[in-house]
Amino acid sequence: MTAFDVVMQQVVNGLVLGSFYALVALGYTMIFGVIKLLNFAHGDLYMVGGFVGFLVLSAISGIVGAGWTGVAIAMFFSMIAVGCLGVVIERVAYHPMLRAPRLSILITALAVSLVLQNTVLSLTHGQYTAFRSDFGFGGVNLGNLFITYNQMILVGIAAFLMIGLELFVSRTQYGRAMRAVAIDKDMCQLMGINVSGIIAVTFLIGSALAAAAGTMAGAYYGSIWYFMGFLIGLKAFTAAVIGGIGSIPGAMLGGLILGLLESFGTLLPGVGSAWKDVFSFAILILVLVFKPTGLLGKSEQERM
Amino acid sequence: MHIINKLKVASLLGVAALTAGGAQAMDIGVMVPTTGSEATYGQDMINAVQIAIDEINEAGGLLGEELAIVTGDDACDPQQAVNAATMLASSGVVGVVGGYCSGSTLPTLQIYGDANIPFVIAAANSTQLIPENPGNAFMINSTGADQATKAVEFLSGQGVETLAIIDQGDAYSQDLASLTASAWEEAGHTVVATETANRGEQDYSAIVTNIRSANPDAVFWTAYFADGGLLIRQLRQMGYQGVIAVGDGSNSPQLFEIAGQAAEGVFAFSNPTAQFIPEAASFIETYQADYGTAPGPYAPLAYDGMKLLASAIEQAGSTEPQAIIDALAAADGFEGLAGPISFTEENTLARSNFIVLEGQGGAWTRAQE
Repeated sequence: MTAFDVVMQQVVNGLVLGSFYALVALGYTMIFGVIKLLNFAHGDLYMVGGFVGFLVLSAISGIVGAGWTGVAIAMFFSMIAVGCLGVVIERVAYHPMLRAPRLSILITALAVSLVLQNTVLSLTHGQYTAFRSDFGFGGVNLGNLFITYNQMILVGIAAFLMIGLELFVSRTQYGRAMRAVAIDKDMCQLMGINVSGIIAVTFLIGSALAAAAGTMAGAYYGSIWYFMGFLIGLKAFTAAVIGGIGSIPGAMLGGLILGLLESFGTLLPGVGSAWKDVFSFAILILVLVFKPTGLLGKSEQERM
Repeated sequence: MHIINKLKVASLLGVAALTAGGAQAMDIGVMVPTTGSEATYGQDMINAVQIAIDEINEAGGLLGEELAIVTGDDACDPQQAVNAATMLASSGVVGVVGGYCSGSTLPTLQIYGDANIPFVIAAANSTQLIPENPGNAFMINSTGADQATKAVEFLSGQGVETLAIIDQGDAYSQDLASLTASAWEEAGHTVVATETANRGEQDYSAIVTNIRSANPDAVFWTAYFADGGLLIRQLRQMGYQGVIAVGDGSNSPQLFEIAGQAAEGVFAFSNPTAQFIPEAASFIETYQADYGTAPGPYAPLAYDGMKLLASAIEQAGSTEPQAIIDALAAADGFEGLAGPISFTEENTLARSNFIVLEGQGGAWTRAQE
């Protein structure tokens, strides 16, 4: 491999990784946009999504196999189940807190995160669960560049879900209502918009996207465990902030940037692979210092 | 209050007098984790020591006394290990067998040293233990340095010239990685890449790309199976075709679940686990019969440790600590399940006991060396 090949290969790696981050970051950003909550349980919904996908796949693999059809069906059911779980969490844990100080609801989110993690921990005894799928090791060679079919399909699914979301938010009535609620909840209430319903839809979609990413990660990497949501939750949060938290295109951009930065971080002489997380969080700090609203975020004006 | 205390003391003295009159038990301390993430390995070791003790007691005991276990739970945690060691040292045990996690075994060395209690370390094998040893501790598991030597010897034998080493940044895997790197260069070969992966990482594509561009003949993963499985899978998925080897921390059947097909042909350096020791057949049978499961990876070493301690006590002819320690130090080819035991000047195993395993058909088999 020449230096150019390595760089190109890292671009591919970064795009695959970045599309995972972007999918999870979308949920973060949507929920922050609508109720101004940093939902720290979001990474754990990703993890639960991986486990639900695993259970569904185990149940149906006898009938449809564990190939792409099986994984697609598992992903679909996982999205529905975790989407509903997200709605339930919002109703039980966040809804009573909507008028409370910001800090209370933030701490509630941390508590929800711990509940989800420890529930799965006690069910799985902290063991790694092998996510068996029949994906082959095949791929396409472009010169020295190697792209697996899995990578292509994963990026394709992620792009499909993200474009679907963007269309939903910009073109549908629900999407319009969602954007309105993000700007001013009270005014929306006065205008007769079902604000609670819109918040529920936001949680449904955000959680479902996290579940999709979790199932895809399980199938792609081949193993899941109770703590897998923690790091990706932090990374997705970082991606959302880099892109401008509250902005949907920003989350996608932030995810891709973070994925690429991490892949290239391992190439820097003297930095090396152990530092790639340090590297991505250092970028977070830089963005917060020099452009606190993120790359695509708009600065909000305080109205007096 | 005073009266109650006096009554307590009096009754304790009474009990002591009674037991002194009857058949007295000789207590052996077993310090292993019985709680926490490593608890299953600890329980395996206790079971193995119990089998050894049952055999000794059936044959008439030791110096005319029956043996019994006193368990100290170190939970693989340095603080709790200090508590466990203090408890064992003050409960009058004749000797201690155990030590699973190196990190938690380390602070207990001084405690057993001060109490002058013979300590047979069955599993912990960090080279850090050697300089801290006051002289009463004996390691019957080969050290990381031995594993590095074995790795270099084996990989050289496979015709490997260029090597990439990947660790996980923790004491165990970093130690093994740097020991292997220096031994590999000393052997006249080159290390073309060293990488450190973060624990719990799922995506190794960036590291794999760097490895592929360095194009080594072999990749050596020095950390644990869970992340190792992911790495191996991604190495093969992205087209790496060279030799893959893993350290003893990755010797787990779960590696095959996680890595799947990709684990075929992977080599692992390992302590002699019971299933690969022909002499251990009857031990496995007894273990299965007594506990209903297969003995874990460190059970044979715990069994050997207990038998070695017993033979030293017998040779010393008394329970006097220094005599037992001297007898341990003089052990010359003591026949254990995992091979003959003799010690170096540093109280480590004179002969490396590492064996090489190969992944075949979704399980470990003994590799041709």
